[in-house]
Amino acid sequence: MTAPGGPTHTPAGTAELAALVRDASARRARLRIRGAGTWMDAGHPVRDAEPLSLEAFRGVDAHTPGDLTISVGAATTLAELDEVTRAHRQWCPLLPWGDDTGTVGATVATATDGPCAAALGRPRDLVLGVEAVDGRARTLVAGGRVVKNVAGFDLTRALTGSWGTLAVLTRLHLRLRALPPGEESWVLHADDAGVERLRAALDAFARGPLAPMAIVRLGAASAGALGFDGSARALVRVGGNAAFVAESRSRLAACGDARPADPAIWNAVRARLAPEDRARRWDWNALSLRIRERFDPARLLNPGLLGDAA
Amino acid sequence: MSLAGSPLDRARAGLDACVHCGFCLPACPTYLALEDENDSPRGRLLLMGALLDGTVERDDPLVRDHLDKCLGCRGCETACPSGVPYGHLLEATRETLVATRPLPWVARLVLAIFARPFLLRVALLKARLARGSGLAALLARVLPRRVAMPFAMLASTRRESRPAWTPAGDGERGTATLLTGCVMEGLFTDVNRATERTLTVNGWRMTATNGQRCCGALHAHAGEADAARALARANIAAFEASAADVVVVNSAGCGAMCKEYGHLLQHDPAWAERAVRFAARVRDVHELLAAAGPRPTLASGERARVAYDAPCHLQHAQRVVDPPRAVLAALGHVVLVPLADADQCCGSAGIFNLVQPDVAERVLAPKLARIAESGAAVVATGNPGCLMQIGGGLTLEKRAVVARHPVELLDEGYARGAPPR
Amino acid sequence: MPLASGPPSSFRRLRDAPSFPRVNPDAPALAATLARIVGARHVLTRASSLLVYRSDGLPGLERQPALAVFPGSREELVAVMRALAEAEAPFVARGAGTGLSGGALADGVTLLGLHRLKRIIAVDAEARTATVEPGVVNASLSRAVAPHGLHYAPDPSSQTACTIGGNIAENAGGPHCLKYGVTLNHVVRATVVLPDGTLTTLDRGDEGGYDLLGAFVGSEGCFGVVVDVTVRLTRDPERVITLLADFTSVRAAADATSRIVAAGILPAALELMDQATIEAVESSIYAAGYPRDAAAVLLIEVDGAAAGLEDDARAVEAECRGAGAREVRIAHDAAERARLWQGRKKAFGAMGRVAPHLAVQDAVVPRTRLADLLDEIRRIGERHGVRVCNVFHAGDGNLHPNIPYDANDPDASRRVHGAMREIMTRCIAEGGTITGEHGVGLDKLPYMDALFTADTLDAMCTLRDVFDPSRRANPGKVVPVRACREWHAAPAARALAREAVAR
Repeated sequence: MTAPGGPTHTPAGTAELAALVRDASARRARLRIRGAGTWMDAGHPVRDAEPLSLEAFRGVDAHTPGDLTISVGAATTLAELDEVTRAHRQWCPLLPWGDDTGTVGATVATATDGPCAAALGRPRDLVLGVEAVDGRARTLVAGGRVVKNVAGFDLTRALTGSWGTLAVLTRLHLRLRALPPGEESWVLHADDAGVERLRAALDAFARGPLAPMAIVRLGAASAGALGFDGSARALVRVGGNAAFVAESRSRLAACGDARPADPAIWNAVRARLAPEDRARRWDWNALSLRIRERFDPARLLNPGLLGDAA
Repeated sequence: MSLAGSPLDRARAGLDACVHCGFCLPACPTYLALEDENDSPRGRLLLMGALLDGTVERDDPLVRDHLDKCLGCRGCETACPSGVPYGHLLEATRETLVATRPLPWVARLVLAIFARPFLLRVALLKARLARGSGLAALLARVLPRRVAMPFAMLASTRRESRPAWTPAGDGERGTATLLTGCVMEGLFTDVNRATERTLTVNGWRMTATNGQRCCGALHAHAGEADAARALARANIAAFEASAADVVVVNSAGCGAMCKEYGHLLQHDPAWAERAVRFAARVRDVHELLAAAGPRPTLASGERARVAYDAPCHLQHAQRVVDPPRAVLAALGHVVLVPLADADQCCGSAGIFNLVQPDVAERVLAPKLARIAESGAAVVATGNPGCLMQIGGGLTLEKRAVVARHPVELLDEGYARGAPPR
Repeated sequence: MPLASGPPSSFRRLRDAPSFPRVNPDAPALAATLARIVGARHVLTRASSLLVYRSDGLPGLERQPALAVFPGSREELVAVMRALAEAEAPFVARGAGTGLSGGALADGVTLLGLHRLKRIIAVDAEARTATVEPGVVNASLSRAVAPHGLHYAPDPSSQTACTIGGNIAENAGGPHCLKYGVTLNHVVRATVVLPDGTLTTLDRGDEGGYDLLGAFVGSEGCFGVVVDVTVRLTRDPERVITLLADFTSVRAAADATSRIVAAGILPAALELMDQATIEAVESSIYAAGYPRDAAAVLLIEVDGAAAGLEDDARAVEAECRGAGAREVRIAHDAAERARLWQGRKKAFGAMGRVAPHLAVQDAVVPRTRLADLLDEIRRIGERHGVRVCNVFHAGDGNLHPNIPYDANDPDASRRVHGAMREIMTRCIAEGGTITGEHGVGLDKLPYMDALFTADTLDAMCTLRDVFDPSRRANPGKVVPVRACREWHAAPAARALAREAVAR
């Protein structure tokens, strides 16, 4: 990783941020967006860019538990988001690869999902609206705080997962869900002779009506990374009311050798089983080039991060 | 010339109920086949409004063409959440337009024949001769498809001769008299007899009514409302002479018409009330049979696969949806198989297949495809037009599938042995 | 020249009808080119043939297209798009014309009907996806995949008629989107033809790319035309429980909604119908057996695994009773369930019986503000002397205030529009939005400036430019007109902007 040069910019609000972008554009300078700094080695190396810290955009702006929505600054960490929502038996199930020291802004900017995404939603599904400053120094307030919204063209979708190459995300409005009343995790074991039978049984379980929150299949390497021996073949996380969890438990027991797992195992899964980062194989098709060109003509935001010529 | 006071103008309130939501589009066979909204209920209602407003000219050939192409199946009425009386509006429009432009000669010829008992008897006799001699079947085979269809339709009405049986019944449900119908009595004589037998077995005492005429449905659909009204008056008078509790009809199209005599004669002070009273006595044969159970037929080892196709004038116009299925479900010797889009029109629609053969064929094609997919050996449907349209199509495609009236199947079952009491 | 007496029928009442007939000067040449591609039968140029294409599902707004073209295959569609690009002709794509924002109205430009492209190209039951052409009707897709125990989850009330292509253009929702998500959440990949004639594939960027498909979904036909789309199919739930709770006040019903959501239950659907709506439905042929004397009913559905579902239903019932429900009824069988839903799904049409015309709105507010807002809407209605029928997705806070009225009465029209404007302004002030699922189209353009900053609207135009720098696709819709080029292509938008200013 190449360390970004120059002094760190720390705008206090969107107006200052917009001014900074305008100024950078005039100076032909480039900016490297930074939240908590945990993702700085992702993507392609960024050179000759001035660090832009979003630390001023940290904290919860609004949370109305009855609406199941929350608005947070981009530099709010996942741990902070979790703490605020859990107090009301709610959560924003982003649960991305990595850990909770990362920021909500980075999770949304990179659209990083995690092991529970298939069941609980990906960042693209959970972001209701954003506030951002784009490469042309325009302040955008896109989407909204309500759970359903089709007013206007969907800037929120365009910016989510754009790795900060179109705009700097400053605030996010997110959908929350109620925490399941009950939750259990199981690790399923099988020796080499029984592995096929277990796989088939788990396939059937996954196709059945008891939709689990996550099923992670384990190979020898991933089992080892989590501290299991080689007979650990899969991790399953189920959540729901008591009857649902009980039924899931008995069906899993019927699949094979199911042993209860510490819920903290999912933090290990997120930290140790992350897939290769997508920024390294970016699809630079004609439309991608055009959207970058239109929102950040000077390529001053995170230049080169996605492998585009800086 | 103004349309003020025209039948369409008088029906104007029905147009205003339309909120053009478009729910009718997928229910419309001509829209599905022709893929232009002008050939859809929403489009035709709009054209009717435009005719009234003078936005389009009455002799605009394209406008007339779109209105002519409507089958009058009234599938849209079932789909319409606003309760637009489409069938009435269509007939009012055709009645309004027919004043300025005569119908095609084929239509005029057919309608004239149906309005005259003697000509009708002669025509049906000739048809039976063509069928009986095998001429119809021969022509259906050798002629090009387009001209062969009427002969295939005729050939398809031929029935296997079945052993006669004598029904016994106690008449506990009441007295019924059969509206014999022109095509039913002329070409489906056997179905009429089967209707009488099965109703007898199911507790109805059957009586005959003399002096019946064509129900007038063909005339009303084509816009010849005056001819339809004349026929209606004759029928009302004839059935008033009968003491039967109900007038039973086994042709969905005729039944729908008879049930609407009240509407047809609403502006005729001398007949309006009598028409309403008559209409209240009319029942489709399936309604009577389903209300009676019906008594099941004996189970048999090898059961024929039967698919039910709902005649539009039963399903949409009369809203008789479940009774035919209940009747078929009581058959121990057949198994009912599902038929996709069974509520979609087959393209028969009275004389539509004679005056709009191309459209009729395009509407029929998906019906034949769905029948093939269903794997049925028999298509059951309770309307002569549908029996002939589907039967003709199956004949032309040389399929091993036959079209039968549900009552025939019931009768066949009863003939095999006394149903358990 | 009108031939008949009496007021004009519903189709002919226009806010500002262009003189008729009206033909784009280049139309004959373009029509000839298009006819060579799709066949003369599928190009309409006569004024009388275009009448029906003057409106979509939104009552009260009509625009006359210059011509209409209906391609019948993928190849024809692409060729048509290239011919339009060649002629630099603006166009408006249209599916079944069931939209409720006037989004498919073509004002003096080409109308591109996609309803003939109705092939289901492939169904992959194992991967639970289907690839379809844009003209496939929503409900017919669900019907086609039913044998696999699957369905297509987004279920707008018009699902028996509306097309998947239209659903994508509008990012359509529906009652069951509360649990299953809107169209956006069910689209995997789309082949689209851009206004310049380029054929390209869009996805959500999950393999490394911008979410171009996410941007495209809901772009109301302004970004291009779908050639085929791969959508996700949803497994039929093992069990469904449908409840009908009735209340003696609308506020109590709204409170019950908040309580259910706050209790952490995620129903598949949570719909509210008020007394005026109940009355309309019960008077129609779709009478669902809703209690006519209730001030409001909630139609609630929980679904999923059988295990634990009854507990959820009981919890829903308890929350309803806690909020003051008079009665909570559970549908006993599929037929009763279908009947309860039928009433809800046909409610919009049923209101057509109440008065000749219907004003339809679509706004979203935070769920905790529902009860107060419904009170406020009632007061606004009373103040303007109009009857507001509410039938909406309460679980999402997605309001549909509808007002039946007679548009031939200028005073009534004025009052209806006044009330609607006030309701929308109020929803915006509560932190809500002006459309949750119907789209902006032409109808809601005047509210966009109140909802978004100039910078944001400008950025929306930037996003449009990524897909359609020529601004030929559905000109004048969604974002208030700014670019000169578009201004000239969209007299409708100009007229509407003038109206907005005049207000």
